[in-house]
Amino acid sequence: MKYFIQVNGRQHEVDVMERLGELKVAVDGKPLDLSYEEVDTLGQVALLSDGKSYGVSIEGDMSKASVVIAGHLYAVEIEDERERAAHAAERAASKGGGLVKAIMPGIVVKLMVAEGEIVEAGQSLLILEAMKMQNEISATAAGKIKTIHVREREAVAGGARLVTIVPVE
Amino acid sequence: MFQRILIANRGEIALRVIRTAREMGIDTVAVYSDFDRRALHTRMAHRAMPLGGSLPRESYLDMAKVIRAAKESGAEAIHPGYGFLSENADFAQKVTEAGLVWIGPPPSAIRAMGDKITSRRNMKKAGVPVVPGLVDPVDDVAAAIAEAKHIGYPIAIKAAAGGGGKGIRIVRNEKEMPGAFRTASGEALASFGDGRLYLERYLEEPRHIEVQLMFDKHGNGVHFGERECSIQRRHQKLIEESPSVIVTPELRAKMGAIAVQAGRAVGYENAGTVEFLYSKGEFFFLEMNTRLQVEHPVTEMVYGVDLVREQLRVAAGEPLGFEQKDIVPKGWAIEVRINAEDPFNNFVPSTGTIRNLRAPGGPGVRMDSALYRGMEVGLNYDPMLAKLIVWGSDREIAIARMIRALQELNVGGVRTGAPAALLVLEDERFRKGDFDTHFLTTLDLSNPRGGEDALVAAVAAIHRHLLSKRRALATTASSRTNWLERNRSRLSSYPAHQAEPHIQTGPAPKGARP
Repeated sequence: MKYFIQVNGRQHEVDVMERLGELKVAVDGKPLDLSYEEVDTLGQVALLSDGKSYGVSIEGDMSKASVVIAGHLYAVEIEDERERAAHAAERAASKGGGLVKAIMPGIVVKLMVAEGEIVEAGQSLLILEAMKMQNEISATAAGKIKTIHVREREAVAGGARLVTIVPVE
Repeated sequence: MFQRILIANRGEIALRVIRTAREMGIDTVAVYSDFDRRALHTRMAHRAMPLGGSLPRESYLDMAKVIRAAKESGAEAIHPGYGFLSENADFAQKVTEAGLVWIGPPPSAIRAMGDKITSRRNMKKAGVPVVPGLVDPVDDVAAAIAEAKHIGYPIAIKAAAGGGGKGIRIVRNEKEMPGAFRTASGEALASFGDGRLYLERYLEEPRHIEVQLMFDKHGNGVHFGERECSIQRRHQKLIEESPSVIVTPELRAKMGAIAVQAGRAVGYENAGTVEFLYSKGEFFFLEMNTRLQVEHPVTEMVYGVDLVREQLRVAAGEPLGFEQKDIVPKGWAIEVRINAEDPFNNFVPSTGTIRNLRAPGGPGVRMDSALYRGMEVGLNYDPMLAKLIVWGSDREIAIARMIRALQELNVGGVRTGAPAALLVLEDERFRKGDFDTHFLTTLDLSNPRGGEDALVAAVAAIHRHLLSKRRALATTASSRTNWLERNRSRLSSYPAHQAEPHIQTGPAPKGARP
């Protein structure tokens, strides 16, 4: 099976073959000798490759993982061939959308725009407070405010939808 | 010496004070909010008193509750740590009036230094150099714009009652003033209940150098040299060191003497820190922190002193018992703050439950933290999870040791700033000592790390992916409910988020987390 993997923004192709319960892995066409042992159920892994030892920690889900090796973080995104095609189609369809999401979990302190209002790119939409730091969240694109998904004093999760902006005809 | 003290704080600093008190044979009393029932400081103290509530203002900021806890537990003194009520003169006063000893400076000294405007006036009078700017605070945008013309841009606007970088904004021109003023004032109001701001000239290529002071109640005062805290982002310190590469023994003696002079001018007692901005050969008084600092361990490592022990000794009325000439630095110490934040996404706060935890060890390594497996990292409290401190016989050795310690450290469940600290320590400019407080903004944090380790990371992730897939599919086949999207994603994430039974006796405290 072929996987398309992004590590810190760089693309790699990984071929995985399972033979008698053992995995044969090739990265970018080069076979990689590998021994993978989970240390605990908390994400610590003891990895050996070509005589080199790596104390790895992994957390994430099926498609995204944070891998830490020797203090450095590797943000990994995994797609198989089918998912890659589906995601490409999705990206093409949602071109030009202007959904502003919360960059962090926090509390909406103040709304500075109303639905129906015309905004410029970079204009402040609302103030989000987290750990007593106030952050102005601004419009990612110019357009008309279609929907405000939050209310003042509302607590939002990281990545939550805040404001939808549509292009003005 | 005291028989029993109460620590009016939480997290690593509460634990820090408990540790020294235990070594001195002093009984310790912790206070805790509902959220902190299981916290490490609650567990490590001899006694623990509930404050109730989960928000800071319902618990650690509630003066009456804290004082009542001290009286009820039979504590003789209160150590405030840093943050919360530590620089609140009214609280210090109330503690004293309740017949307890305040382990800190007298309320009059906190007042003289607490408000930045008052402190600058006092320091000017005492002959301490201050940054050019306004002496009086402004309360609206129009006044700020008018005053800014006299001072000249770039300008820093700061909360009159501030600290810890909250409510500070840099304004580079008149156009930026309205937006910056609004958010800074709002932040100041939310954090300190005082929205007044003051303006001052923003110094170019500034380095943050601060001097550690200790005064007893008998008029003796000394300094423990400097710490440099120029590696900061949004005015929150990330890496601190002692000594500083730019401070010569002569400059140390000069800055130290002026810092002691500043403390004397306000009748200081106990531990305190005078912060200076150093810019191109000159240094200016910034503010005085009338409490123990987060970064005090680097001073402890270099001077071989336990500052909390000194705090307790002088608060109990003992004389210092040593003089300035007895205080000699040795080697180099560095501290890295491990915050719950994503350095590759503009340092936005990160929340979660600590799952995976691997602490560094070995020669010259000290970790001050209140981290434990299962700890919830929320938004109500400070994002600092741990402080990693190392000592080496010189700066080069200390840097190498810190890199090694950071490689050993692993905090899972949240993102931390540790990878950014590694990038700083590996940077040639930092290693040569050529940096200022803007250093972090010049550092490429787009996380471009590639190479062999990246391939290993990819392959490890694939292994984990396949194992998860197998597990998710297996369980799904056995139970219809697992077809639910939510359950499926729970099963496929790792480490597994298993619902652990939460056993509790007695009624659940109000607002407690399940």
